[in-house]
Amino acid sequence: MLALLTDVLSRAPARCSYAEARHVATDEEELLVRNGRVDSIDSTSADGVGVRVRAGGGWGFAATREATRAGVEATLRRALAIAESQPAAPAGPLAAVPPARGHWSCAHERDPFDVSLEDKLELLFAAEQALRGDPRIVRSDATCASRRVRTAFASTDGAACTQERVECGAAIAVVALQGEELQVRTYPGAHGGSAACAGWEHVLGFDLVANAPRIAAEAIELLSAPECPAGRRTVILGGEQLALQIHESIGHALELDRMLLMEAAYAGTSWVQPHDLGTLRYGSEQLNITADATLRGGLGTFGWDDEGVAAARTPLIEAGVLRAALSDRGSAAQIGLERSGGCARADGFARQPIVRMTNVSIEPGDAGTLDDLVADTGDGLYLETNRSWSIDDRRLHFQFATEIAREIRGGELGRLLRNASYAGVTPQFWSGLDAVCSASDWRLWGLGNCGKGEPGQVMRVSHGSAPARLRDVQVGVA
Amino acid sequence: MTSIVVETPLQTAERALALAGAAADEVQVTVVRERSLMSRFARSAPTQATEVADTSVEILVARDGHTALASTNRLGDDELRVTARRADAAARAAAAGAPGTYPGLAEPAAAPAHDGYDDATAELDPARAGAALRATFAVAAAHGLEAFGAWTAGAVRTAIASSAGARLEEEVTDGFMKVVCRDASGRSGYAAATAAAAGQIDPAAVAARAASKVTSAPPAELGPGSYPVVLEPEAVGILLEFLGALAFNGLSHAEGRGALSDRLGTLVAAPAIDLADAPRSACTLSRGFDFEGVPKQELALIADGVAQAVVHDRRSAVLAGGDARSTGHAIAPGGSPQGPFPTNLVLRGGAAADAAELCAPIERGIYVTRLWYVNPVREKETLLTGMTREGTFLIEDGEIARPLRDVRFTDSVLRLLSATEALTADRRLVSGGEFYGRRFAHGVLCPGLRADGLRVTGATT
Repeated sequence: MLALLTDVLSRAPARCSYAEARHVATDEEELLVRNGRVDSIDSTSADGVGVRVRAGGGWGFAATREATRAGVEATLRRALAIAESQPAAPAGPLAAVPPARGHWSCAHERDPFDVSLEDKLELLFAAEQALRGDPRIVRSDATCASRRVRTAFASTDGAACTQERVECGAAIAVVALQGEELQVRTYPGAHGGSAACAGWEHVLGFDLVANAPRIAAEAIELLSAPECPAGRRTVILGGEQLALQIHESIGHALELDRMLLMEAAYAGTSWVQPHDLGTLRYGSEQLNITADATLRGGLGTFGWDDEGVAAARTPLIEAGVLRAALSDRGSAAQIGLERSGGCARADGFARQPIVRMTNVSIEPGDAGTLDDLVADTGDGLYLETNRSWSIDDRRLHFQFATEIAREIRGGELGRLLRNASYAGVTPQFWSGLDAVCSASDWRLWGLGNCGKGEPGQVMRVSHGSAPARLRDVQVGVA
Repeated sequence: MTSIVVETPLQTAERALALAGAAADEVQVTVVRERSLMSRFARSAPTQATEVADTSVEILVARDGHTALASTNRLGDDELRVTARRADAAARAAAAGAPGTYPGLAEPAAAPAHDGYDDATAELDPARAGAALRATFAVAAAHGLEAFGAWTAGAVRTAIASSAGARLEEEVTDGFMKVVCRDASGRSGYAAATAAAAGQIDPAAVAARAASKVTSAPPAELGPGSYPVVLEPEAVGILLEFLGALAFNGLSHAEGRGALSDRLGTLVAAPAIDLADAPRSACTLSRGFDFEGVPKQELALIADGVAQAVVHDRRSAVLAGGDARSTGHAIAPGGSPQGPFPTNLVLRGGAAADAAELCAPIERGIYVTRLWYVNPVREKETLLTGMTREGTFLIEDGEIARPLRDVRFTDSVLRLLSATEALTADRRLVSGGEFYGRRFAHGVLCPGLRADGLRVTGATT
């Protein structure tokens, strides 16, 4: 396939100033056991080719499932026709990139597609059964998902590379109901089962069966737990909630296409401006954020991005000061950067690459374990597992709710509280960060539902985080 | 591999059904062929233009009350056989446990005719996109503004063939355009239009409406509290979309999780609220049948403020029991694990001539053009949170006085509908124009409304 793409691009018309072609073959499988029965087993196997061209300053992209020479040639012609049908636009530069060559694949021990359906269902049945028992549990789910993506990429800038990634994840979830009170609890996370670029060993590592009784018991306890009171409090965010907080209020805000208004009509803009790079104080000195596409196991890990730019590790925020943004070749060149940040990613063959997060993580601090951090916090709240999320189109004002909250009194975790929520404004919120747990409590959290782009693209990203403490946070807003 | 020349989706579905028949007894094949164009723009220049051509084949095998679904976009005989075997193996694995609750494939039924298809739109001429962008840029320039947005059109043909004898095929088209006009200081206004026929969308008119919302006055600020509110149709539509998922989903209703569980037949909204799912109503994105091949029913959901019904697919109807039947709202073959959803919500209009009449009785309140990043906080309460965006104004003494910094609301949709005081006579078909995964255009036909006491919980700085 790579040879075909390279050959077709080598014959692209001269009026085409740049062209790239991606063949993407995707296999996916999702299993769901619900309330004691197999609810669904879905699998997808699909492939196709997307061709993006630049002609006369305009961009055109066309996609086809016909992964043949005739299909790719026709798609190149259609991409050109679309580019040339657009109103004339000045041709901005693209940041230079060394030609991507070779093959990359992600490390994994056991291919999840080699695990039989029967073995997967046995695990899910055992986990789901361990959730049930109380009649107030009206829904109990155990699910797992596996994904394999093979990509071939060629461009008229000399790129010719292939990649293969394997991902999987799993989760359990319960809904508890008593009268009009409804509570949910999930494990290990609320967004796609914390998938990773890894093999089946990643799923087994969750120990779903052992964690199921705790999840169910917490959901039941929440039904009659006191309401989380409103006020300004010290909070410790659990790793999964902190991961989403980073995603929404840092990751998206640092996408350079947003800063340059390219996403103003959909995803939105950013409160950060390109001229802020190098000077803006984003948060406290405890805030160190890195984008790292080389991180083992990350959903945002790859050999090259979808413009053929090699994976990189880039500090975004150091000691609270903004250092860099997430960029692709076009946005980087637009603000005069010599190199792309390597953040161009596309969702399948039928979507074109746009600026996306890779693995945007908070670096571990020195606060020890979660127990150490709680012990160091005389009075406050511990908030865990995201339930609701919303942020404005400049990534400034946000509001989150979590599945559970626990009181912190005298340096110890206390009673459970229900319907916890908090809100804030990005730079003020991060200025209250005064402690991050150490590397021992740092782990990657996979998010499989990041939406952006038109037509819509769902991207899969990971965020490394450890529990962290923030001062003076408004809680109880919902 | 069989050479495929030109085959309609129904012909592909029948071929796949024949190939799958050797592997399984109870099979439904769903074929969806998408062709679409999308042109995006920013700062009054084109940025991305996308054409998609894809066909997916979904093979559903049912066995002992269980289903399994396998999909591919590889249409050769060998690939379809492999896909069918994959579905059958999965169904056998599922059936190895306790019997399932799937009631079996739908009986063959004729789908009603509708006007959701337009020949000219289906031509998908990229020149039409280019012309729309040029017209938009001209309007923005005339107002001294920059234009941002997207124009898109699509044609989606869906076919179903099943071992129960179903043979269905329909093609629907959709067009959508949105424009954000923005001045140098970042003040912006939004407008959009949706129609089954892209030719019904007037790009210059959409741009002019967006431009009219950009004013140079400094924005006012409002603190947390409850305020009278006037919502434009775009804001009403997204609230109703969430209400559709949280209140009218037959699966969550049957499980007791729904917002209307034990509340059907009771007053849940103001008497002026009449909400229906009307897939063949004029000006909607019409459809004839759902993904189980069941004809889509016209269904009253709220009448005179009283909750009437929820929507069902075949699985949720079985769970609900009694005389519940599928209403034609399956969103996936065999029914989705998320349950059924209304896809053509229609809210009856009222007597107000326009938005100005809605504003007239308000001493101090909020005018909202659209809402953004709306998500549920507590599903059973229909409690949502989200932000206003691109056209938020302060109403004072019955008139729009000046721009307002965007605010965060945290409020219940059913509470807002209960507090609804007036609706405009005119309605708009509104949608977000968002197409994640397979293109499935849908929208809400609704008026603007005035409600008392929108709960504001924060604001941008």
